Amino acid sequence: MIRDTTGPEARLIRVTGLSKTYRVPVTKPGLRGSIASFFAREVREVHAVRDLSFRIEPGERVGFLGPNGAGKTTTLKMLSGLLYPSGGEVRVGGFVPQERDPAFLQLVTLVMGQKQQLLWDLPARETFELNRAMYGVDRKEFTETLDELIALLRAEPLLEKPVRNLSLGERMKCELIAALVHRPMILFLDEPTIGLDVEMQVQVRQFIAEHNRRTGATVLLTSHYMQDIAALTPRLLIIDEGQLRYDGALDELTRTVAPERRIVVHQVLPELAALGFAVTEGRMVATVPASEVNALLQRVFAVAPLVELGVEVPPLDEVIGRVFRGASPTETP
Amino acid sequence: MEVIAALLRVSIREAIQYRASFVAEIVVGALSAAGIAAPLFLVYARVPHVAGWTLDEALLVTGFFLLYNGFVSGLVEPNLGAIVDGVRTGALDYLLVRPVDVQWTISFRKIAPSAIWDVLAGVAVIGGALWRLGPPAPLASVVAFGMLTAGIVATYGLWLLVVCTSFWFVRVDNLRFLLGAVTDAGRWPVSVYGRGVRIALTTVIPVALVSSYPAMALLERLDGSLAFGAVATAVVSLVGSRAVLLFALRRYSSASS
Repeated sequence: MIRDTTGPEARLIRVTGLSKTYRVPVTKPGLRGSIASFFAREVREVHAVRDLSFRIEPGERVGFLGPNGAGKTTTLKMLSGLLYPSGGEVRVGGFVPQERDPAFLQLVTLVMGQKQQLLWDLPARETFELNRAMYGVDRKEFTETLDELIALLRAEPLLEKPVRNLSLGERMKCELIAALVHRPMILFLDEPTIGLDVEMQVQVRQFIAEHNRRTGATVLLTSHYMQDIAALTPRLLIIDEGQLRYDGALDELTRTVAPERRIVVHQVLPELAALGFAVTEGRMVATVPASEVNALLQRVFAVAPLVELGVEVPPLDEVIGRVFRGASPTETP
Repeated sequence: MEVIAALLRVSIREAIQYRASFVAEIVVGALSAAGIAAPLFLVYARVPHVAGWTLDEALLVTGFFLLYNGFVSGLVEPNLGAIVDGVRTGALDYLLVRPVDVQWTISFRKIAPSAIWDVLAGVAVIGGALWRLGPPAPLASVVAFGMLTAGIVATYGLWLLVVCTSFWFVRVDNLRFLLGAVTDAGRWPVSVYGRGVRIALTTVIPVALVSSYPAMALLERLDGSLAFGAVATAVVSLVGSRAVLLFALRRYSSASS
């Protein structure tokens, strides 16, 4: 069957009832436990992903969030064809990933922040060349893509050094280049900023956003850094214990899970206590529903017209934390 | 081919990156090649024939075994050994997302340059033996080359099968060492062994196909049925091991990030 690998369908992800169960050997503690396990191995089933369904439109940037062990990486590995699902159906760019059709593998890329594909003892350029051969990229197109990626990531000085001599952030830049030399239309990024310093995180984020804008590639990204999510992915999928807890816009999540706002007055004015403000670390703070912010501000300015204040939305990690702890956001199909 | 050439180029560059290690590897390779040929001279210093084979004839077997050993230590061991580690650590991840045949990339990703000594020694030993025995008939040379190829394919399939078991049992290093030790029997002409061992070395662990059969072909002692059996074994081994590999990949569970 001939598929269109350039149109919108090539960037579409559809997941229906996806599940993955691992069989994990259980070893009891102590020497006796190890000996017992040697003769009678006990196996436990771990449901890493359970009945997961979602759809990602062409060119979307979606954040995939969840605590450790929630099933994020397992899902990404199933979407990229590395793991066979135990159940359910997946279509990525119109392909069934686990069939590993070469045309499908041309279409996607996987970046894992905690693993590396770069050849450790050689300069990164060797990995790029190897990937060029493996993906069958035309030499001229390869040079153009490489020049563009190197310029975007300001990676020129890194290319001739052995990878082992690069810093973590420099290595991630090269990992991204290696992952993109074949111009994939779907990017699976598993914690691409992990361990990077703030400056490098910003550079990687800017790069991903710019790449998405230029190529229209679909991006599914997992991260533990809320700044990544806030800066990059307007839509969120939140997963916990292998199940989808939320699928919708980031703004919507904040509005439904954390509808309150904090009004912070940067000085202590005893007369504000009557309006519900409390003193906290030399400031006065009141927490009210978003709909009541304007009314309260008017009353504050009536009492103290020249006061310096700010209105704060709860931090994203706090909002996400509430979802993990059981707050029920409104799911959008 | 471009992919394999690129893989081998990278592999050679990696191997020569550390000069001391590279030199040590070359020295060890030369000693190992000498070690394979030496016992034969010790035995033939005392007896003129072993199971109907003269020293020069047996040297042909040793020469082909050296070629096989070069193939195993240069390509099979480094690559298939890396699969076992890859299954345990999840390092296969990046290989499995490439749009090239998995079997090619996992089989030709690395090369151990020291294996060149086995190959050179093999060629020298075969050349020396033929110089004393007289040149073989052209057809015999063709059949010998065919047997060598069939033997290499058959043993490669066996190695791949053993390595695939790591998808179930994870650590199978000892199984690899065991296979290495058993295939060592191929350095002697297969007729020195009893019937049971002979059958095992031509079917179950077909190392005789890669050493004795090409030598027998050069000496015009290999009948058609044996040659046909060798080719059939190679085909079954290759097709079977590929099927097992593709099935085993379904069990790949990577490693947690």
